[in-house]
Amino acid sequence: MSTKDFRPGSAFNVSRRTLLQAGAGLIGGTVLPASIASRAFGEDKPAIGTFPAGTSGSSAFIGISVPRTGTYAVQGEDELKGYQLAIEHINSGHELIKKISPKTSKGVLGKELKYGVADSAAKPNEAVQAQQRFISENKAVMITGGTSSAVAVALNKLAQREKVIFVCGISGSNDTTGKDCVRYGFRQNFFGQTAAAAIAPVLIKQFGKGKKAAYLTPDYTYGHTVTKSMQDFLAQAGWTTVTNQVSPLGAPDYSSYLLNVANSGADVLINVNWGHDAVLSTQQAKQFGVLDRMKLVVPYQVPFIARETGGLMQGVYAATDYWWTIEDKYPLAKLFNDTFEKKFGYKPEWGAENAYVSFAHWARMVEEAGSFYPPDVIKAYEKGETIPSLVGDVHYRPEDHQCVRPVIIVRGKMEKEMKNKEDYYEVVEIVPGDGLMQKPDAFGCHLGDYT
Amino acid sequence: MLKQRPYLIEFLTAAGLVLAPFVLPWLGFAPNTVNRILVWGLFGLGFDILFGFTGLLSFGQSAFYGTGGFVAAYLLTRAGFPYVALALVIGMIAAAATGYLIGLIALRRTGIYFAMITVAIAEVFFFVEFNPLSDFTGGENGLPGVPTPSFNLGFTTLHFTTGWSLYQFLALCYFIGVVIALRIVRSPVGAVFSAIRDNPLRATAVGHNIHGYKLTAFVIAAAYAGFAGGLLGVLQAFMPPDAFTFDTSGQLVMQTAIGGRGTLFGPLVGAAVWLSLQDFLQAALGLGAAWKLVLGVVFVLLVCFLRRGIIGGLADLYGLLTGQRGVREPDESEPEVVAVASTPHAAIAAAAPTPVRPRPAGSPSGPILQAKGLTKRYGGLLANSDIDFTVNHGELRGIIGPNGAGKSTFFKMLTCEVHPTSGTILFEGRDITGMNVTDVCQLGLTKSYQVNQLFAGLTVRENLVIAALSGLRGKFRLDLFRSIDSIPGLSERVQQTLELVNLTSRPDTPVSELAYGEKRRLEIGLALATSPSLLLLDEPLAGMSPRERVETVKLLKSISQGRTMIIIDHDMDALFELAERVTVLQEGRVLVEGTPEEIKNNSTVQEAYLGGVHGVLAA
Amino acid sequence: MINWPNFVSQLFNGLALGALLALISSGLTIIYGTLGVLNLAHGAMFMIGGYAGYVAYSYTGSFILAVIAGSLFVMVLGVAMERIIIRHFYHRPHEDQLLVTFGLGICFVEIVRLIFTSQSQVVPPPALLQGITSLGFLFYPTYRLAVVGIVAVALGGLFLILYRTRLGMIVRAGIEDSVMVDSLGINVYRVFMIVFGIGAMAAGFAGIINAPVVSLTPGVGDDILVETFVVVVIGGVGSFPGAILGGLIAGEIISITSMFNPGYAYVMLFAAMTLVLVLRPHGLLGTQGRE
Repeated sequence: MSTKDFRPGSAFNVSRRTLLQAGAGLIGGTVLPASIASRAFGEDKPAIGTFPAGTSGSSAFIGISVPRTGTYAVQGEDELKGYQLAIEHINSGHELIKKISPKTSKGVLGKELKYGVADSAAKPNEAVQAQQRFISENKAVMITGGTSSAVAVALNKLAQREKVIFVCGISGSNDTTGKDCVRYGFRQNFFGQTAAAAIAPVLIKQFGKGKKAAYLTPDYTYGHTVTKSMQDFLAQAGWTTVTNQVSPLGAPDYSSYLLNVANSGADVLINVNWGHDAVLSTQQAKQFGVLDRMKLVVPYQVPFIARETGGLMQGVYAATDYWWTIEDKYPLAKLFNDTFEKKFGYKPEWGAENAYVSFAHWARMVEEAGSFYPPDVIKAYEKGETIPSLVGDVHYRPEDHQCVRPVIIVRGKMEKEMKNKEDYYEVVEIVPGDGLMQKPDAFGCHLGDYT
Repeated sequence: MLKQRPYLIEFLTAAGLVLAPFVLPWLGFAPNTVNRILVWGLFGLGFDILFGFTGLLSFGQSAFYGTGGFVAAYLLTRAGFPYVALALVIGMIAAAATGYLIGLIALRRTGIYFAMITVAIAEVFFFVEFNPLSDFTGGENGLPGVPTPSFNLGFTTLHFTTGWSLYQFLALCYFIGVVIALRIVRSPVGAVFSAIRDNPLRATAVGHNIHGYKLTAFVIAAAYAGFAGGLLGVLQAFMPPDAFTFDTSGQLVMQTAIGGRGTLFGPLVGAAVWLSLQDFLQAALGLGAAWKLVLGVVFVLLVCFLRRGIIGGLADLYGLLTGQRGVREPDESEPEVVAVASTPHAAIAAAAPTPVRPRPAGSPSGPILQAKGLTKRYGGLLANSDIDFTVNHGELRGIIGPNGAGKSTFFKMLTCEVHPTSGTILFEGRDITGMNVTDVCQLGLTKSYQVNQLFAGLTVRENLVIAALSGLRGKFRLDLFRSIDSIPGLSERVQQTLELVNLTSRPDTPVSELAYGEKRRLEIGLALATSPSLLLLDEPLAGMSPRERVETVKLLKSISQGRTMIIIDHDMDALFELAERVTVLQEGRVLVEGTPEEIKNNSTVQEAYLGGVHGVLAA
Repeated sequence: MINWPNFVSQLFNGLALGALLALISSGLTIIYGTLGVLNLAHGAMFMIGGYAGYVAYSYTGSFILAVIAGSLFVMVLGVAMERIIIRHFYHRPHEDQLLVTFGLGICFVEIVRLIFTSQSQVVPPPALLQGITSLGFLFYPTYRLAVVGIVAVALGGLFLILYRTRLGMIVRAGIEDSVMVDSLGINVYRVFMIVFGIGAMAAGFAGIINAPVVSLTPGVGDDILVETFVVVVIGGVGSFPGAILGGLIAGEIISITSMFNPGYAYVMLFAAMTLVLVLRPHGLLGTQGRE
């Protein structure tokens, strides 16, 4: 990171120079660390962030922070596998990568990708701490992390400050590419408002108008925005909210909430919880007999919930980024499923898909830019070209760096309908992304500077 | 160890902080890690004052860390307040104010109760931050975009951004934090803090309002935590919600214990060990999530075997190598006692000044203490019943009675450690019934204990300083930045007391290394140093060898010059030799009162009391 | 959802939550009352009880065996912990006792995480107790209903030990006045070991009984520990009846508050604790003795 000290004209450097002029005793201490710094390298681009120090050798480093402990650990591990597969494919020039990023041969711009993994425990502080280390010690050229919108937002801000590109992992909050968006951050998966917009018409069609809904909402931004979006969309068909039970993240027991739901007289239970919270609350809803009396809806599908709840998702509607059975329609998905299953022994969930695609897209953009120089890479994204993904063609919006991609509506299969043990869902509909997402400026996005 | 050469520690700290950016990179420390260690270190300075120096183990420091952090971050982000340093200070003040309010509740109890309450408080703060206050704190997203500090000096502007640049600002903050902490620790308040840690009961008895001082320590710790919390936001340009979680408190406690409590720098060392091990175990050894287990085991081992942590261990090692601690005085240091005892006590007594506390003018005689109808009932048990008791100025009164006669309960009522069920106590004409020990001591009535109640972790001189301070400063004063040496009359009074109790040769010996007889004398010295106008001695001869008794009786005689004293003891020969009048208690009542001669010849006493304790008389 | 049926439901649910809290807290409070050691690893022992039961269940498929295994394993663990480590801390300051048990708690959690990973494990309730029971005014999971009864029996057992045996007399005397017990010539350390074992067993038993209600994760004991503190502070440290009363009060507070706004359940719980501290600093049923 000390290379940036030599970049003429940057705000940082000016401050450094005046600082040295001030030359007070204690303050003088920085001279040496600055002089240990490596020289600026051959490329004619100015130094910024970890550029060009991060790509001076034969490899480039990626910092990955996923939750491996805590409420979202299961989803985090799946995500990590997607990253690992993508890096392996990029380094070996696998045919799947070449279909998404045609200019890739081996590695990115000839550099082999290396990576480090840190456990974020879905806590922003842990994630920021780990990524700061990856940036300063490993000169990471790109960072990723997620499975928690809080982590995504925190890393957004870190990326903007450190001028290192952040390719966001799972993050369902409207804020990530909304009010907390940054120039250096990109998101591939869709988010709460989109999920609600996609699934609401299906629910109305299925259950009819004027229904009474009860909500289980996790007490943080993601939960509140999804619940709000669902309420808004469903209200158009006369649905009312009879109760909204807000529970803390990682709650050990949902009995009090579920009694409230049970006594509310609702027709439909909309469970907005995520990760282990979703599994536990759904299981307990079954124990309390709530699922016998009302229909369950999971607006944003939680990876592995069908496996973990053992049959409770049967007949349940959910919106998801990806379900493996769409491979009938999308050959790239088929290729992905096959290579993933061969390596890890199970069908990938959408966390892995999102991880894989977001890396593949990044590799494509760097190749397009012809340089790791972050502003060039960002501009490659911002061209907004239509590019391939595992769910068909998509594009990134230059205004908020959100990928516009389809939403897949699934319904849990009854046991007798399942063709194999991982055939949990039936794909009901694939809704194109264009009509669903809000306008880029609707959530107050201001991207900030390139340099 | 913090008191030796003036400014040495400050100088070494400054030197270390200046050298760190040159040295640490070669040891593999990234600037961000160093900055983080500094923030933990600063957080820990306050915590160490609370835990290491005052002995209050709080698991709730995250509450103040978060409060200060979020107030500062809110001002700097949402409210658009432009001055970073000022925002940090405001955050610190907010945390200190919160600490004051929380302290009022949490400090109602001590020890384990206190620890449990602080755990609960940390949890509730996290909920509050997440729920009702999420509009201000950003809920689980925290507050991103905290700016870094810059100072306009007129001719130029200093910007502190990241890495080693921000290090300068953090190092400066840490340095100021250390300087302030050292001042506090070396102040009279700091002395009282250690007294509370070592023996809260005695700290109260020698006239310090320990509740006030505990609250002070709590607020100081909260202020440090608040400032450090603000710096955390500056450090990562983001104020994370995790700052409020219990884990933060736990990590602080563990780091402090690892580095060494009561050393001020322990938390810094602990944080360095923690963060570098965390990196090392995760990255170099690839242990993944198991890193925390390794740290947990290290922590448990340190608590078991190295009580004072790494710094304490190093200090002990240094002491061992230089042989300072090696030469312990022999526990039965009789020769020395004899040597001192050979000096005529009359000479000492003559040299010893009269009590420093002026007697009320014009009343050198007449009653100093009057108890009327004192009764104490424990459930169905009547410990004392209807005792009338008067002692005149300048008198030396003895109290005897068989075991279970209620002597100790009676003393405890006189010093207001225990409140009577009925009856009144007048001291110098003032009704002190129902007052607390501290206030009574401040009025000039104190006692020495039957079982030693010393400040065991401190030296002889420090013990006496603590006792003397209460007389000179009153029961509570916030002279946080005053040097203890600058208090007029303190060193004189300590010196006088040392002379009175024959400990002039060992002022810097830790209490734990004193012989038993010396401890007994120090016990009396503690009471004397508060310069009481009435001194109560509860079995001053208890547990002494016959030779020690003879010496101590001489000592008591010399002390009694110009003082009013009441002595309880079993050793009647000694008591009859010392006392002008003797009161005999039996079964919680006054049996008889008179001169030693009268008592010796009183048939009731002989029958009821002396008859039964030939053993004692024989001894 | 403020209506009459819901109020009654929540009242009942509070009883169920409170019963479990009472059981865990009584273990903590007995240990503290007798030994003067606050075991910060108590939550971890609750968690280990669940995991030990889970292991037994996955080998045998028997819930009864799981309960026995969970309780016994934690009891043995408790005795070992007392013998090897805690006994060296009786004469050290309270703070050191807190530190060492806190550290041990972390080690326990991390060892379990290492062996079982963070993924949740499920112990199903025994077949007999699956399903839902209608109580007229509410439908309630049969197993949770049974938990109330099981806990009541367990607390009754503890009561018999504490109030009807010689050991119990010594323990209660120790809570009142540990110095006196010392001077009675009773081998206090043996008593300490037994009490630590019983207290640990109560935690382990609660852990496995609770396992089918929640799903097991290594962190399951952490939240419980804090709730237990509140219970103990409310009831009075060292008081067995206080732990039961405190547990029930805490359970009702959590449940009833949840009816209005679940987010404030904990805030109300801590508010209640503060109130008790202000009005009755020694807890509702606590005595002046211990500090």
